Amino acid sequence: MSEDFREKARLIPKGNHYDVFEIGQVYEHHWGRTINAGDNSLFTTLTLSYNPLYFNAEYAKAHDHPGIVVNPLLVFNTVFGLTVEDLSEGGGPFLGVDELTYHRPVYEGDTVTARSTVKDKRVSKNMKGFGIVTWHTEGFNQNSELVVDYRRSNLVRIKK
Amino acid sequence: MALTGTDNYFEDFTVGDVYRHARGKTIMEYDNVGTTLQVMNTAEGHFNEHLMQNSGAIFPQRVNFGGVTIATVVGLAMQDTGENALREVGMDKIRLKSPVFHGDTLYAFTEVLGTEAGDEPDTGIVHFKHYGVNQDDKLVFEGERRVLVKKRGWGAK
Repeated sequence: MSEDFREKARLIPKGNHYDVFEIGQVYEHHWGRTINAGDNSLFTTLTLSYNPLYFNAEYAKAHDHPGIVVNPLLVFNTVFGLTVEDLSEGGGPFLGVDELTYHRPVYEGDTVTARSTVKDKRVSKNMKGFGIVTWHTEGFNQNSELVVDYRRSNLVRIKK
Repeated sequence: MALTGTDNYFEDFTVGDVYRHARGKTIMEYDNVGTTLQVMNTAEGHFNEHLMQNSGAIFPQRVNFGGVTIATVVGLAMQDTGENALREVGMDKIRLKSPVFHGDTLYAFTEVLGTEAGDEPDTGIVHFKHYGVNQDDKLVFEGERRVLVKKRGWGAK
């Protein structure tokens, strides 16, 4: 092979820059994620999240649930994770979340998907080369029922 | 014997109380890298050390995913504030005040901001403000959280 694969290679870029976001624009995010028992058990124990609804099936059933409840912080983290390639992979630090509401429980084996709407954007005064973008993100279960929604703001790199 | 504590029912939360939670948690690679990838977060700043050291990034090392910082601080507060909860209601005004790196240790504090009637019998909603600090006592996280908590005697009908 005369040509080095590295010289021949074309980068397949990922992520978006500040410039592409337009207020009102809607992103239907990729992949979806079935949250399984292992996910919930690992996440809940790693974060010391000691409410037995999230790790004791008999306790959850005694509280009118069909089985263990997925830790709401994991539901939030998973919905957030699914949005990253579209929203903040090309970005900078995650600044904050407002108005987060959990709308209904998620159970092990449920599949979540995510959608976001661009709500606001402005150039950062403090961080040169970055803008601040705010999105409204909604997470749904496999029956298209809303399980969580929130507003998130992030620093996002302005394309050079 | 009860599966949950007896001192963290709705009636035990008094507006103005501030708690220092007993346990801290050192953030390890498996917390950040593991959870970031588990939840499909594709931002390399959380899992590509080589990139962070060589790209002129704001912080020249992998940064803990903010979702993990939030979940860890709320988790450290969970036994005292949500062990007898029926439901997490929501969160607001979450701010990540400074970055968290592998090896940092987080501690949690909680202030009771308010209490209100619950939407189910024998319950109430408690409104908390949580704070997360690192080993140098630097504030890394603050945010509000509402939880639907059992009243004493819940379900005893």
